Amino acid sequence: MPQFSRRKFLLSTGWVAGGVTALYALRNKAVAVAPTIIFPDAESGAAWIQIKANGTCHMFFPRVDMGQNANTGLAQIVAEELNVEVEDIDAARPSTSDVPPLAVTAGSMSLTAYSRPIAIAAATLRETMRERAASKLGLPLADILDDIGGFRAAEGPRLSYAELVDNTSSMVEFDGNRPAPLLYTFDAQRDKRQVGRAVKPLGIRDLVTGAPVYTADIPVAGILYGRAIQPPVRNARIASLETGDVANVAGFIQLVREDEFVGVVCKTPGAVDAAMTQIKVTWDLQQPIAQEEIDRLVDVDAAMAKGDLEHILQDEAHRKDIDWDIDLRFDVQVQSHAAQEPRAAIARFDQSSRLEIWTGTQDPFGMKRFAAMDTGLSEDAVVVYPQRLGGGFGGREHYEVERDAVRLARAVKQPVKVQWTRKDEFTASRSRPASAHRLRIAVDEVGNLSDWWYGYISGHVVFARERLPGWLLPVARLADDMGVVKGAISPYGAPHQRVEYNDVDLPIDLGVWRSLNGAPAIFAIESAMDELAVRQGIDAVDFKIAQMHSAHPRLQNCLERVRALSALKALPEGAGYGRGFASGIYDGRCYVAISADVYVDAQAKQIKILHMCCAQDVGMAVNPGQLRAQVESNLVWSIGMALLERFEVADNAIRSSNFDNYKIPRMDDMPSLDIEIIDQPTMPPTGAGEVALVAGPAAIANAIRRASGFRALRLPISFADITANSAE
Amino acid sequence: MKLKVNGVEREVEADWRDESLLTVLREHLDLPGTRFSCGIGQCGTCVVHINGAPISSCLVPIKDVAGKDILTIEGLVAQDGSLHPLQQAWIDESVPQCGYCQSGQIMQALALLKENTNPNDADIDNAMKGNLCRCGTYDRIRKSIKRAAIVMGQGR
Repeated sequence: MPQFSRRKFLLSTGWVAGGVTALYALRNKAVAVAPTIIFPDAESGAAWIQIKANGTCHMFFPRVDMGQNANTGLAQIVAEELNVEVEDIDAARPSTSDVPPLAVTAGSMSLTAYSRPIAIAAATLRETMRERAASKLGLPLADILDDIGGFRAAEGPRLSYAELVDNTSSMVEFDGNRPAPLLYTFDAQRDKRQVGRAVKPLGIRDLVTGAPVYTADIPVAGILYGRAIQPPVRNARIASLETGDVANVAGFIQLVREDEFVGVVCKTPGAVDAAMTQIKVTWDLQQPIAQEEIDRLVDVDAAMAKGDLEHILQDEAHRKDIDWDIDLRFDVQVQSHAAQEPRAAIARFDQSSRLEIWTGTQDPFGMKRFAAMDTGLSEDAVVVYPQRLGGGFGGREHYEVERDAVRLARAVKQPVKVQWTRKDEFTASRSRPASAHRLRIAVDEVGNLSDWWYGYISGHVVFARERLPGWLLPVARLADDMGVVKGAISPYGAPHQRVEYNDVDLPIDLGVWRSLNGAPAIFAIESAMDELAVRQGIDAVDFKIAQMHSAHPRLQNCLERVRALSALKALPEGAGYGRGFASGIYDGRCYVAISADVYVDAQAKQIKILHMCCAQDVGMAVNPGQLRAQVESNLVWSIGMALLERFEVADNAIRSSNFDNYKIPRMDDMPSLDIEIIDQPTMPPTGAGEVALVAGPAAIANAIRRASGFRALRLPISFADITANSAE
Repeated sequence: MKLKVNGVEREVEADWRDESLLTVLREHLDLPGTRFSCGIGQCGTCVVHINGAPISSCLVPIKDVAGKDILTIEGLVAQDGSLHPLQQAWIDESVPQCGYCQSGQIMQALALLKENTNPNDADIDNAMKGNLCRCGTYDRIRKSIKRAAIVMGQGR
């Protein structure tokens, strides 16, 4: 990959016209993991901050907005460094023509990866301005003190940024070869003004007034409407295609077929709906789509009976044939992203074959590359305008609805808007795989863990079929799938340990889903540890803390904090009530513990979650309000995963199609919440977007165990599972 | 064919008369603040008021609302740009995450507060359980409705 010249690029785009621009440029490389997935280096082009001639601060948001509001936190860092109010920052969402490649927005990495580069760029800009102020006033640098929106002399005048900047363009670039300036954001001594404040999400007014912020809201002149058939699985081939009376549908314009792609373009959305009902496709499948087939493929016991699993993550003095105190299998279901916004894209080719795409995607630069490959255009001829996402959760990383719009627009030579139906979303959203987990644990004579043997099978995540090109898959799969290994290493110590797994192809399309394998694996581990505590008749929180052997003080602290938090509200006395705890580490850097109070209501035949507490160590809390919002979101998702969400397949088709047959949490499922954000001002921000979900489902399952005696071995848990168990 | 949207009489052209109210609002009348999500009336994302009653606009053929009064999220902002107390409460509690469902949530909450000026948790559960929020902002929606109820009560 050729070195990218930021300087040249910025000049050519006009981005640096007037004012002073600060850049952080640690590395320039863009790493293509595979031709179909580009993950530009997280630090490339991370920070773009500018003071304009009128003194206003301008920044490009490096992340896409999908509800996590990470850009607000990053703007707070810029405001802290530059001594301005975050609300005064003029922030823009760049198109793919405005900036060099930015990384896919994923992995709860925004604050972890970007906070320091952003702070360095802003601080470098501030110190450059300070030098200007010193020279203008003829004073030594040390006499130039910070002031709101500029500087003041120790004795003498105030100088705003506007007085230090004119219309000539200049750039300062931090290249990593010199020490960073003092970073106010990370200065523990500083009394911070912007960082640590619960700033409201930037742009929040637009979200409560119905302003056009999502892809399908964008007005484009002469727009037509289209949609394509989504196959039940991407390696399906069309066996037969009937198009019925589609040509006579009022408003019909064109049927487009290219190999396995079939779509229509019409004058109105209603005409598209009518035209699509005329099209009947039958599919040739390579695997039967059936629950029995999924169960067979993830059957961890059958695989472990044959010998070692393919990937060994941990292997220390492993002992196979001992008496196990815990020997349990946990099964976790397929789940769908079910984002509130069905994905949408608008594509427009102009006269000179330049292609414009409006889309809400986690990976705008990936879309640009894929669209170029799909159309044969050069990448320079494609521009992607990223829009706000109506929810991402890992499900918006691929060139899919964009492909539909591009192919249809090219066929009709007019701009086309495509929005998937809810059924399309369930069919084609690359679900979280099913997985099965066998936990074997033994304790010594004093109750400490002696042996730990954890084997599991999951569908592929990062290396799922149709996420990488077929030729690359066998090679990629020799390595660990970083989605499948999430959560597998427990925080508990034992002298004899083995952790192993297989990852497998399932008959449905799979991909990245909030927390990846973190939530399934930690559900299994935390359930097994809880059961071990129950069987020993000891306190589960004490037991878990003891078995960490002081190796995870931050996790231990979360557990202790959540225990204290939960004690503030008494669990109602009587049959059917229970309180459970669970904790976990997401991605080796994010620490969380959760308690859940449940009522197993034998009369109403339902499981009701009454109250949940969460203590999460977030490192430095840049925006406590938004961190709390992410915790709330993860707690709600925990309820969905533990009790409600059941993705159904049958008869070679995906049966889950809408919110009537795939239940997600609603207002009346909500417990009361008590959340503690543990701020560690001297530690880097850990990220929060998919953290608490790793512990929530096990906390609920453990509470049900206390309430009813029923140990949930399969998610989602229904009331019928409990009664079936007690009837046995 | 005419209808009144946010107090303004609007004409629906011939090509759009077989569409849903939701589609006409979004694609024909330049009011994209009401959004599509499930298409079967299961999620509340597209709720608008028709003659004062909250209804999922994805289910309503445009033909059925000829001559009726439609209120959408865009109609809650006053002429001078000031926000409705519900919208302000939503900002004060920092409710939205992705934001996509929030127009429907606010319109549903508005209907609740018209019927019940001081709703408790059970009232809110009952009125709002048809409005999904995949981000899980329910706790803040609950708080916002109570906050707005107080502000609106003071205004009376």
